[in-house]
Amino acid sequence: MSKMAASSGRALKSFVQGCCGCSSVILPSIARNVILQKPAVTVLARLVCTSSTLQRKNIAAAGPEKYTQEFIKKQIEEFNIGKRHLANMMGEDPETFTQEGIDRAIAYLFPSGLFEKRARPVMKHPDEIFPKQRAVQWGEDGRPFHFLFYTGKQSYYSLMHCLRFIQLLERILALPYCSIEEEYIQRFRRALEVQSKKQKIEPLQYDENEVAFSIGEGRRKTATATATVRDNGSGNITVNGVDYLLYFPVLQDREQLMFPFQFLDRLGKHDMECKVTGGGRSAQAGAIRLATARALLSFITENEVESMRQAGLLTPDPRVKERQKPGQEGARRKFTWNKR
Amino acid sequence: VLPVRWTRYNPYYLEPEPSREVYRIPVTELTDEQKAAQELKAVRPIKATPSGLTSSVFSDPTVSKFVNMMMEDGDKVLARSIITQTFESMKRKQVEKYHKAPATEKEGIECNPYTIFHQALENCKPIIGLISIQKGGKYYQVPTPLTDSRRRFLAMKWLITECRDNKHRRTHMYEKLSQELLAAFMNEGNVIKRKHDMHKMAEANRAFAHYRWW
Repeated sequence: MSKMAASSGRALKSFVQGCCGCSSVILPSIARNVILQKPAVTVLARLVCTSSTLQRKNIAAAGPEKYTQEFIKKQIEEFNIGKRHLANMMGEDPETFTQEGIDRAIAYLFPSGLFEKRARPVMKHPDEIFPKQRAVQWGEDGRPFHFLFYTGKQSYYSLMHCLRFIQLLERILALPYCSIEEEYIQRFRRALEVQSKKQKIEPLQYDENEVAFSIGEGRRKTATATATVRDNGSGNITVNGVDYLLYFPVLQDREQLMFPFQFLDRLGKHDMECKVTGGGRSAQAGAIRLATARALLSFITENEVESMRQAGLLTPDPRVKERQKPGQEGARRKFTWNKR
Repeated sequence: VLPVRWTRYNPYYLEPEPSREVYRIPVTELTDEQKAAQELKAVRPIKATPSGLTSSVFSDPTVSKFVNMMMEDGDKVLARSIITQTFESMKRKQVEKYHKAPATEKEGIECNPYTIFHQALENCKPIIGLISIQKGGKYYQVPTPLTDSRRRFLAMKWLITECRDNKHRRTHMYEKLSQELLAAFMNEGNVIKRKHDMHKMAEANRAFAHYRWW
C-alpha cells in the first residue's frame, strides 16, 4: 500500500518536472502518503506533451529516493512487531530475540536455493536497509529550518556567529597563562604586515658643496628614469639637459612632475635633475614622478612617507600594453565577423 | 577568452586618495569609520594614482572623467584643450553679463566656470532610468533606480552627444558646449529636455515596474 503511494507520488513529481515553463513550486519534500491537490489540478491542466521518455529521464534525474522520518519510524515499528511474531513462531522468548535468531528463523521459514546471498530473503533493522540520508533541511513550505541555511555552510557559520568562536579565541589569548595554547591559536591567525615598513628609504648623500641630495629610480610602461633631487634649490627641473617647460609642452605632464613636490609643500625648495629614456610622453612623465617620489623619501618624516604611500605616489604602475592574441586583430578587437 | 573585466592590479589593492586635506585632519577629529578605514589602509597596498589626477587645487576628478569621455582615439591633448576653451568662453560670457547687469543682479550671476560645470551636471543627472527587460517575447522599458556613477555617466554622455550631433557644422565644439552648459545651469536646453523625457517615460511605464526582479 505504501509502495503504491510512493510510485504515484513519483509519477506526480515527474509530471511536475516534465512540464516545461510551469510556474508552480516544486516541493522536494512531498511526503509519500500526502499528495497535494492544488498542484495536481494546475499541472494536469497544462499537461500537453510529456512523452514516456521524458518521464523516464526525469525519474533518473531526481536522484536517490528520499525517505521521511515518519516512513522510517513506521518501518521500525513493523520490524519490531514482525520480530515478536517470528519469536512466537519459533517458540523463543520475544524479549531476548537477537538478529542471529531472526536470520535463523528466516532461513528456516523461507528456504531459498539462490546462489547470490544478497538475493535471499532478509529481515533486518530498517536503519541497515534504508541508507542514511541527510534529513531534509526545510519544511513543507520550503522555508529552511536553520537561519544560516543560505550561507551554504550553516554549521560553520553558526559556530562562528552563535558560539562567538573568534571572540572566544581572542579572549583566551588575553587571559594570563595563555602561552599554553597560544601557539595553537596563532596557527589560525594571519599576520597583517604594516605596508609602510616595506619602503626602502635611502640615506641622504652630501656632495662637495655640502648640499644634500638623493637619487631615485622609477619605471612606467617602458620608460625608465633616474632623478637627482637636491636641497636648497629654487624649483628648477632639468630633464635630459633640457628645461622641463621645453621637454614637456603638455600641461598634464608638468603637473605630474610637480605632484610629489606639491603634495609635500616643497615646491620651490628643491632642484631636480633627471635622465629618462624609452616610453612615450605620458610614460616618461609617470616614470619621473615615481623617481622623484622615491628620491624625496630621504628628506621627509615617517608620517609623510605613509601619506605619500596612501596618495598612490610610491606604487609603480603595473599597467602595460596588453599583448595581441592569435586569431584577433589586437589585444581585444576581433576580426570583422563574417557570416560565411 | 571570455570578455571579462580584469585589471593588472591584485584585487587586494585599495584606491589612492591624492587630495591633501584628508591627511591634514588631526587624529583626534576622525570619526570611527574614518579610523577603521585608516587602519585598513595602513596594512593594505595601494594602487598608483592615474596620470590625470594630482593633489593640486586645480585638478578636479569630475572634469577629468569628462575629459576622458570626450577623448577620441586617445587624443587627450585635444580633449583637454577643448575643455579649457569651453571654460574660458563660459567665463567670458558670464563676465560680460556681469558687467552689463544692474547692481542689484550682480551678485546672482555666477562667474566661476567650475561651479557652473558642476551645477549644470547636477541639473542634467536623471533620477530614474529605464532598462530593457524581455518578458514573454516582447521587450519592455522598465523604470529602475540608478547608482550615482551611472547617473553621472548618463549626464556626461548626453552632454557630449548633444554637442556633437545637434550643432551647425561651422560652430566649434567648445562654443556649443559652453552654450549647453550655461543653458543646463539655467535648467533649459536640449539636455534638460532629454532628462525630462526620460522621467516622463519612466512615469508612463510605471505599470511595468514589477517586471524588475532585483
